[in-house]
Amino acid sequence: MPTQPSSDLSAYLSHELRNALACIHQFGNILVDGLAGKLTSEQREYVSIMLENASTIRSVLDSALDGVPGTPEKLPNKIETYF
Amino acid sequence: MPNKKILIVDDDQDVLQGMHVRLKANQYDICLAVDAFSGVAEARRSAPDLILLDLGLPAGGGFMVMDRLKMIPSLAIIPVIVISARDGLGNQKRAFDAGAKAFLQKPVDDKQLLAVIRQALGEPAATKKPTLHDQGAV
Repeated sequence: MPTQPSSDLSAYLSHELRNALACIHQFGNILVDGLAGKLTSEQREYVSIMLENASTIRSVLDSALDGVPGTPEKLPNKIETYF
Repeated sequence: MPNKKILIVDDDQDVLQGMHVRLKANQYDICLAVDAFSGVAEARRSAPDLILLDLGLPAGGGFMVMDRLKMIPSLAIIPVIVISARDGLGNQKRAFDAGAKAFLQKPVDDKQLLAVIRQALGEPAATKKPTLHDQGAV
């Protein structure tokens, strides 16, 4: 983990948090979609709440790091392709 | 018709496992690599139809993987989709300049990922088996 410039720390935090969020989204959706077995409606509701809050964390992360010196600019919320 | 084969190169085991489950459920064959060196080696060994590539990889990084693939004619034609937790238009531009077909920022929406994969493989949209959720089973 970087120990000096705060810009390095911001980039490090952004990268690590996005990776962790990616896993939360990935496995949460695997559960909701029934790929690991059928969930009860109550279980689905709980996992959905978890996913909604993970989305909130992502929004907070984007907002918090937006404009921090040295933090790479975030991409627009769309997929860029060269097809 | 045989399943299309996708190579996933990412140093995060959880990401690999999650993508493996998701793509397997959509009838793709999967092969995995955890660093840049083994990513190129696995591409040579398994000749995938598509590569999902992280940028921050041990033993060289994702851009090195794309450079190496371009040097081998049989691998240079494989479409590459970059999926990275690095943000920034700089990485996106560099990925496109290196030959990537798409740049996705983690966390990636599953439906968007599958749509981009189908596009890269030249498959019609949403022809894969629907999930249990799509079928109303859960």
